[in-house]
Amino acid sequence: MTVATQAAGGGHVDRGGGGGSSGLADVVELILDKGLVIDVFVRVSLVGIEILTIDARVVVASVDTFLRFAEATNRLDLYGKGKGGKDLTELTQGMMEGGAKGKTAGVLDAAVDKVGELLGGDEEDEREPVRKRPRQRARERERER
Amino acid sequence: MTATYVYGLVAAGTTLPDDLVGLGPSGRVSLVEHDGVAAIVGDVPDRPLGTRDDLTAHEAVVDTVAAATTVLPMRFPAVVEDSQVVDELLAPHQDRFLRALEQLDGMVQYSLKGRYVEEVLLKEIVEEEPAVAELQERIRGVSEDASYYDRVKLGEIVAKAMEERRDVDANDILDRISPFAEQASPTTPPQPDEVVDIAFLVRRDGVEQFESEVEELGADTHEWLRLRLLGPLAPYDFVPAEE
Repeated sequence: MTVATQAAGGGHVDRGGGGGSSGLADVVELILDKGLVIDVFVRVSLVGIEILTIDARVVVASVDTFLRFAEATNRLDLYGKGKGGKDLTELTQGMMEGGAKGKTAGVLDAAVDKVGELLGGDEEDEREPVRKRPRQRARERERER
Repeated sequence: MTATYVYGLVAAGTTLPDDLVGLGPSGRVSLVEHDGVAAIVGDVPDRPLGTRDDLTAHEAVVDTVAAATTVLPMRFPAVVEDSQVVDELLAPHQDRFLRALEQLDGMVQYSLKGRYVEEVLLKEIVEEEPAVAELQERIRGVSEDASYYDRVKLGEIVAKAMEERRDVDANDILDRISPFAEQASPTTPPQPDEVVDIAFLVRRDGVEQFESEVEELGADTHEWLRLRLLGPLAPYDFVPAEE
């Protein structure tokens, strides 16, 4: 099995698939669930185990999923709400250094936003949303044109 | 009886790539043509099918051919008796196969999958859902056993909040990328933090633009969304249903 690899151009989308470069789970999803079935196909004996492992993907939100999310949320809270986490200077520094690799513009702003967020800033309304939805982005681009 | 493995169907006259390796003991892959349609066939191993290598070989054959020409992919495992490839498979369904090949001519499939960056999304949910903070308060310092039901409840609220956001985000992504595809077939992924699983049917001459639109979407959303693009693939999701 080949794991999907990052696009060569330093892109933000993982690429895979096409001619045997997909992961097993992707392959199974394609060729076991989809495609033509013709009534002349004969029954053949199948290896069960390899196929069974994939049935994990069918599991819909279960108690285990809920517990996993709860744990992740509580973990987040430990350093997200300033309880014994890094102090502000450390955080800002880390962000500046981390950001230096990418685009320089906006890093400072991002750091300021971040600091405001951590302080539980009172400018609730002025704060940038945590993330921009694709449609919002598309609209913004239209306006720029 | 000897059996034949059928990977998929192409238009007659197609030339197969040299480097195809089938799942049979010989590894050979060839074409059986009949009246405008050709089956991509190979031999069948004398053992149960379904190993990792079998699955990978099936997909590799289909999608390597699909990179250059339109393939109607068969569902795994597709085994017919030797004598029946023409008489039972190609001849009786010739009409239907030809129509489907024509319909999908010049098209490939891409599958776009997306998953939330958990930390970013959870932060948003904690901020926006007061019930989460309340439950966190109750759980804090309580033993795992004693807080079990509260933790399940917390996770349930988080999962529900995720699903609400997912519905919005999945629609946004579909709206944004669909104009660059001929057809889109979205499915709701099983886990709440999986945002999209969409199959797109894309014209070969539009592949570059499609890929760059997806790349741009990835650039715009990478802070909170991990996108994965598979393809070009055979049109697995767009094979016409049996009439």
